[in-house]
Amino acid sequence: MRINIDYLRKFISFEQDTKALQDLLTVSGLEVAEVMTVEGQTVFEIEITPNRPDWLSHYGVAREIAAANGQARFLPLMVDGIALVGGEKRFAIAIEDASDCWRYSGAIVRDVRVGESDPAVQKLLISLGLRPINNIVDVSNLVMMTCGQPLHIFDLGQLQGEQIRVRRAKKNEKIRLLDEREVALNEDFLLIADASRPLALAGIMGGLESGISPRTRHIFIESACFNPLVIRRASRLLGFKTDASYRFERGMDVEATIPALKMALLLLGQTQPPSYFQDVYPRPLPPTVVPLDKDYPSRLTGINIEPETSSAILQRLGFQLQDQGSRWQVQVPSHRVDVSCKQDLVEEIIRIHGYGHLQAQMPLSTNPFLRIDREREIVQRLKNQLAASGFNEVINYVFQSPEENALYDPQLPPLALKNPLGKDFSVMKNSLLAGMLKNTAFNANQYWERIAIFEIGNVFGQHEGRILEEKKLAISAYGLKQKKDWRSREEAFDFSYFKSLLAMLGRLMRLDFAFKKQAHPAYIDTCSFAIEIAGRPCARLGEVAPEFCRYYKLERPVFAAEIDLQALVAAVGEKRFSGTNRFPAVRRDFTFLMAKTVSYEELRSCLERLQPEVLESFELTDVFQGPSVPADKVSFSMGFTYRAQDRTLTGDEVNAIHLEFTAKMVEQMHLIQR
Amino acid sequence: MIDGLKKEIEGVRRSFLNEIAQIQSPEKLAALKERFLSRKKGIVSQQLLKLRDCAAAEKPVAGQLINQLKMFIETELARIEEKIGARRGTQEQWSDCSLPASDLPIGRFHLIAEIQRQIEDIFLNLGYEIASGPEVELEEYNFTALNIPEYHPARDEQDTFFIEGFANMVLRTQTSPMQIRYMLDHQPPLKIISPGKVCRKDDPDATHTPVFHQVEGLLVDQGIHFSHLKGTLEVFCRSFFGPDVNLRFRPGYFPFTEPSAEVDISCFMCSPRQGIPPAGTSAADAASRVQSDCKVCKGSGWLEILGSGMVHPQVLLNCHIDPEIYSGFAFGMGIERVAMIKLGVPDLRMLYENDLRLLGQFG
Repeated sequence: MRINIDYLRKFISFEQDTKALQDLLTVSGLEVAEVMTVEGQTVFEIEITPNRPDWLSHYGVAREIAAANGQARFLPLMVDGIALVGGEKRFAIAIEDASDCWRYSGAIVRDVRVGESDPAVQKLLISLGLRPINNIVDVSNLVMMTCGQPLHIFDLGQLQGEQIRVRRAKKNEKIRLLDEREVALNEDFLLIADASRPLALAGIMGGLESGISPRTRHIFIESACFNPLVIRRASRLLGFKTDASYRFERGMDVEATIPALKMALLLLGQTQPPSYFQDVYPRPLPPTVVPLDKDYPSRLTGINIEPETSSAILQRLGFQLQDQGSRWQVQVPSHRVDVSCKQDLVEEIIRIHGYGHLQAQMPLSTNPFLRIDREREIVQRLKNQLAASGFNEVINYVFQSPEENALYDPQLPPLALKNPLGKDFSVMKNSLLAGMLKNTAFNANQYWERIAIFEIGNVFGQHEGRILEEKKLAISAYGLKQKKDWRSREEAFDFSYFKSLLAMLGRLMRLDFAFKKQAHPAYIDTCSFAIEIAGRPCARLGEVAPEFCRYYKLERPVFAAEIDLQALVAAVGEKRFSGTNRFPAVRRDFTFLMAKTVSYEELRSCLERLQPEVLESFELTDVFQGPSVPADKVSFSMGFTYRAQDRTLTGDEVNAIHLEFTAKMVEQMHLIQR
Repeated sequence: MIDGLKKEIEGVRRSFLNEIAQIQSPEKLAALKERFLSRKKGIVSQQLLKLRDCAAAEKPVAGQLINQLKMFIETELARIEEKIGARRGTQEQWSDCSLPASDLPIGRFHLIAEIQRQIEDIFLNLGYEIASGPEVELEEYNFTALNIPEYHPARDEQDTFFIEGFANMVLRTQTSPMQIRYMLDHQPPLKIISPGKVCRKDDPDATHTPVFHQVEGLLVDQGIHFSHLKGTLEVFCRSFFGPDVNLRFRPGYFPFTEPSAEVDISCFMCSPRQGIPPAGTSAADAASRVQSDCKVCKGSGWLEILGSGMVHPQVLLNCHIDPEIYSGFAFGMGIERVAMIKLGVPDLRMLYENDLRLLGQFG
């Protein structure tokens, strides 16, 4: 909101220059966002928090300066001279529901001449960011900017019948507003109506027909106080705000309707009482009273604040105090709609006393025990390992396009946003892969050759009316694993490297990752795996399907994995010391031919089944295909390590065991020994 | 026969050891190697020739003995070669240690994650616990329980994404709902931070992205007051931005705190001592050192960092905690904003492009 400093000086005198005033207001909570010069006058743009509608006027700001400077009072416009009596019986004012409209005051002024406002008034309004319209409308705006109360002025000639009604709209009722838009109404809207039709949307905008025109001769001025919730709901439904609705939805001073009306009359040059005046206030609101222990301000702020200081500040802000020994009963002024509890009062006291008085102190409170965040530790360990392996962390948005979700898995029902920023961001991610492919493409376009990235983030879905949200760690690799230089050959990422990387992460966590072939729409059928830990799925990896890559114009293969962090963390166990085997190990090698139709996985599970007790481990040391190997076979070389728990194995013992073991292998897997 | 061979081999071994013990230069070592291991005339080869005269039954043992000798000599030669540096500088082993190092790949953490970790570490050291919660949150926890009822103007300041088909769910606009979740589950004393992603319906620009990160803090116990908040945030800001920075509390408004404060730090770039006048000078002197062209604070001398306040009694009540017994403070900050200020990131959108050249500068 704009405050014209020259106009402000009409209501309060202060010694501060512009800079000092700016600082004073800022430390009082009225943040001066900008200082401007408009029409040769100094104007502050002030950011006013939603709890302080009483600051949305020059009066409000003057009141604050007075309190901050320790002045007893500011000088409001002298409006008390006008008596509001008005005997004319033009019409009755009826409020249908007193909870919609708390107060409705109005007056009629006859024989006005519609024309331009005084140039000084126009200049003032322009400096406050308002467009001068005519001398009548300008008065209502000037009153609002001066004391905060929004007014509405009707052309009396357009009011039909003998009643002004404040009522809810009926379904299918319509109104054409001052800005010429037509609005279809329903019971959520509060109207000002005459006997036959809607005249204005209460608290938001007047109707076109009853507005001030050059032909207007007599006017009816409305000064009312509406329920903030009603105005806010209507404004939300309409999708727009006005200066009036902005104020009403924050809460206006129910006691301000009469002074504002008087100010309008004064500004219209009226020195005589109006011919018609009505003030309908069906259920006068009792003032808010808050009990405050005198030592509470000190207890809540942690600094010593003398009761005299507290009471002086509250009184300067317009609160009335009744002393009850160790406490006060504090009566809240009607314009302070935000104050309802003792903490609110302490904020007022410390605000004016100065936040600068707060003393830095450390609280001694501790949690009953410190819960170590295991997930955080495990994730940090995985991140460290990935970074050490040359993978970079990325972070993406949580939403993406429906196509991107479908590319990952068209079967999963997406979790969609009701009001997205656009179609490209309209569904919550069902996987982190799409974002990572997008990042890969971005960097590939920058001629980055080795694009190895990972991301930690949540993915979303829904199942039987429940929202699913899971934390994932996704990893992807594209392009060169190793760039060519004088000592190294160029090497592209391939699946076996990527699988090894995942296996390494498993070993890091001391988990036994089992790679199970399992088709998934995001991956190529022949290269799509689930990782299981003790039979429970915890990750998926593979080579990303070509359609998915093409969507991001990626020409080379992308290898990717996505780990379910909750499943992984659950599987990681606490280890206790288990000793080491000090007996020597004996190694035997075995080379054989196996049919290409048999997978290594089948061989491996066969070996695990046949495994002699003293076989500690086995490894694949070579895979060979060449002229010496038949076309339908592959040559494998394997190393076997034997070790007993309780003794040193002799050479003969191992030879016998190895011979028997390999003979069984040959038989069961139809191998040919080389 | 074997015994004779054994003696002979032992003799060769001893003479080799004698000779090698005296060798100092690579040239002499090469000559020694030639003499013992040369294919044709080498002493070891000569021994192998004797195998022809062996009886068939003795051949394997004899062969093994000679091989052992050969391996012993090879090993010793290699050891001495290495010791006197004979391997370096020879023609066939050319190398140049001034050749450039290869670019072994390294990975980095995302700038936001790294700043988040730094913030977390400070609070972990202060004894806070990390509490995390869902990004798709109950509207109740994101707003209503935090004293932001429906139609409250404060909801306008946080344009909210709603979820299709789930009338009561939103993408959390702040990490504050974790306060509610944690307080519903735990009794004071409690002391947590909750970092994480939040979403607001803002079109991306240099200082806004629709997804960003926050860290929220909460401490509830008996006797907690506003000065405790100031002390805690002072320790945090000095740990994170530098030991010289000073704090300025300004009145602010958050529906879930009362009293509330916006917290500024003195500009660590141009005027960290702002607000703490050194002995013999005035606050005005300190303020005068603010540089009007400072790119970090834009000449104001202050940087807005945090929102904070004492937990509103209604929020405590909503979580079944008696505000007459307990009080608490809460604070929150945007990680991107902090990153922007601390590291001079000019445009937040860049952080979500995940350009490896940019990520490579941090983390």
